[in-house]
Amino acid sequence: MNANFSPLRAAMAAVTVLSCCAALAGEAVDGDLPRLAVGGFGTLGVVHSSDEQSDFTASTLMPGGAGYSRRWSPAVDSRLGVQLGMNMGSRWSAVLQLVSERTLNNGYAPMVEWAYVQHRLTPDLSLRVGRIALPLFLTGDYRKAGYALPWVRPPVELYSAIPLSSSDGVDASYRWHLGDVHNVTQALVGRTDLSLMPGASAQARRLAGVSNTTTAGALTVRASALTAELSVDVARSLFDGLRQFGAQGQALVERYELSARRASVVSLGFSFDPGQWFAMGEIGRMKTHSYLGDKTTGYLSTGYRHGDLAPYLVYSFSHADTQTRVPGLELAGLPPQQAAAGAALNAGLNQLLAAVARQHSVSAGVRWDFCPNYALKLQAGRYTPQEGSTGTFINVQPGFRSGRPITVLSAALDFVF
Amino acid sequence: MLTLFSFFRLWLLPACVLLWSGMAAAADYVVIVSARSPVTALRAEQVAAIFLAQTGYFPGGEEAVALDLPVGSPLRDAFYYKVAARSPALMKAYWTKMVFTGRGQPPRELPSSAAVRRMVADNPAMIAYIDRSALDASVKAIQVTP
Repeated sequence: MNANFSPLRAAMAAVTVLSCCAALAGEAVDGDLPRLAVGGFGTLGVVHSSDEQSDFTASTLMPGGAGYSRRWSPAVDSRLGVQLGMNMGSRWSAVLQLVSERTLNNGYAPMVEWAYVQHRLTPDLSLRVGRIALPLFLTGDYRKAGYALPWVRPPVELYSAIPLSSSDGVDASYRWHLGDVHNVTQALVGRTDLSLMPGASAQARRLAGVSNTTTAGALTVRASALTAELSVDVARSLFDGLRQFGAQGQALVERYELSARRASVVSLGFSFDPGQWFAMGEIGRMKTHSYLGDKTTGYLSTGYRHGDLAPYLVYSFSHADTQTRVPGLELAGLPPQQAAAGAALNAGLNQLLAAVARQHSVSAGVRWDFCPNYALKLQAGRYTPQEGSTGTFINVQPGFRSGRPITVLSAALDFVF
Repeated sequence: MLTLFSFFRLWLLPACVLLWSGMAAAADYVVIVSARSPVTALRAEQVAAIFLAQTGYFPGGEEAVALDLPVGSPLRDAFYYKVAARSPALMKAYWTKMVFTGRGQPPRELPSSAAVRRMVADNPAMIAYIDRSALDASVKAIQVTP
C-alpha cells in the first residue's frame, strides 16, 4: 500500500520468509511436514448512484466512480484476494495475502494486504510480525472478504472514516476465558504508508492499538482503540498559501494541517446472531486535530434468515464534532489582490472541511446464498449528506447540493475458494 | 402483502423448521472423545466453542482439538445446526472471517466416521462427532446438554 512498495518485491520477500520459517520449523517442531493452504475471496459488483455531481465510494482510498464518473461502476466493491498460509508444526505459521482492487493510483495492481509470520507461544498466546490486519471496528479485519459480511459492504459512514486496514509491525493476541465467556485481547504497534494519488501520500507513524473481542454464545462485543501520528499531504498548496498570511495564516495552518498529528479512534460494536436473525451495531469516535475533523459515527443493522435468503436493514450516520464551515482568513483591510488570494484560500479550506462527513443513510438489501461458497447481494441505500457537507461522497463537482438524498443501488456476487 | 406475510409465517416457517429437524433426525450423530479422556458431558455451547476455535481447552483445562467430517456431509450439517445454530452457508461465512483474519483455522477434516473414530481413539485431546452406527469401545460418546 506504499507508494514505493513494489508488490512483487514484497511478495518475494514474504515467500522467502515463508521458506525460511519452513526450514526453521523442520528442525524445531515435531517433524510435521509444512502444510500449505491456498484460499481466496472475491467480489464482482456494480454500483449506480443517482447523483451525477459526485462519486460514491466505499473507501477514500478507492475512486469508487459511481455517479459523476460512470452511471454504473464496477470499481466500488469488486476485488480479488488470494491467501497463502503455511503451517509448520503447531507453533509456527505464515500468511501472505494479496488483494487486487481498484485503487486511486495503481489500477487493479495486486497489493500485499498482509504478510506475517506467527508464533504460538502457548495455545492461547501468539505473536505476529509483519504486515498485520488492523483489529479496528467489528469487521475491520475481514471487511474485504465480502462473503463474510451480511451486507454488500460495511456501512461507509464508519468504515470509510478510517480507511487503514493493515499495519507493518508486531502484535500479540491472547485468548482467555471466564466460564463460557471467551475473550481475545490483541495489542499492536506498527506503522503504515499509503499512497493516495500521484504525488500525495499518507503516513501513520507510532501506531498503537488494543482491541478486545468477547464472545458469549450468540453475542460478540468488540472494543478497540487506535492511535497514530498521522500525516496526509493532499492539501500542501493550500497550507503553503495560508503561510503567506502572517500570524493568522499560521494559526489556521496549525489548526488544520495534517502533519504528524496525533489522531485517535475508539469504537465499540456488538453482534447478536442466534442463527435465525441477527442484529449488529457499532459506534466510533475519531479525533484528528486537523481538517479531517473529529467525528462520531455509527450504525445499527438487523436481518432475518429464511432458508437461503437473508434480508437486512441498516441505519448509519456520521456526525461532525468540529466546525465544518469557518470564516478563515480575515480579509478586511488587505490590498485587493491579496484579499482575492485569501478568499480563494478560504474557499479551499471550507471545501476541505465540507468533506468531514455529516451524513445519515438508510439501506435495505438481501443476501442470497444460492449455492455453496457464493452469495448474491442486492442493496438499495438512501444517503443524505447534510448541512453543507459532501458526506462520504468524493470527486464532488460544483453543482453538488448538500441535503438532497442520493440513491445508491448495488449488486454484488461474493465468493470464497 | 399482509396475506403473503401471514402465509409465510403460518406455513413456510414451520415447514422450514420441520425440514431442519427432519435433517437432524435423518443424520444421527454422537459426540465422542477418546475412551481415555476424563470428559463425560458438555453443554452445546462448550462444544461449539471448541469447534469454532474460540477455545483450545475442555472446561476442565485439558487441551481440546476438534475434528470435522467433510463439507457437505449431512452429519456435519446436522451437528452445526444443533450445537452452533448455523447453516452450512453461515459456517462458511464464519470460517471466511476467521481464516482471512488469521484468527483461526477450521478443524482438520477426515473422510469418514470410521477414520474420525480411529483418530479420536488414539488421542485424549480430540473431540468429534460421528455416525451413531460407527460407535465402538475405543471411544466414548459424551452427553451434550442444551
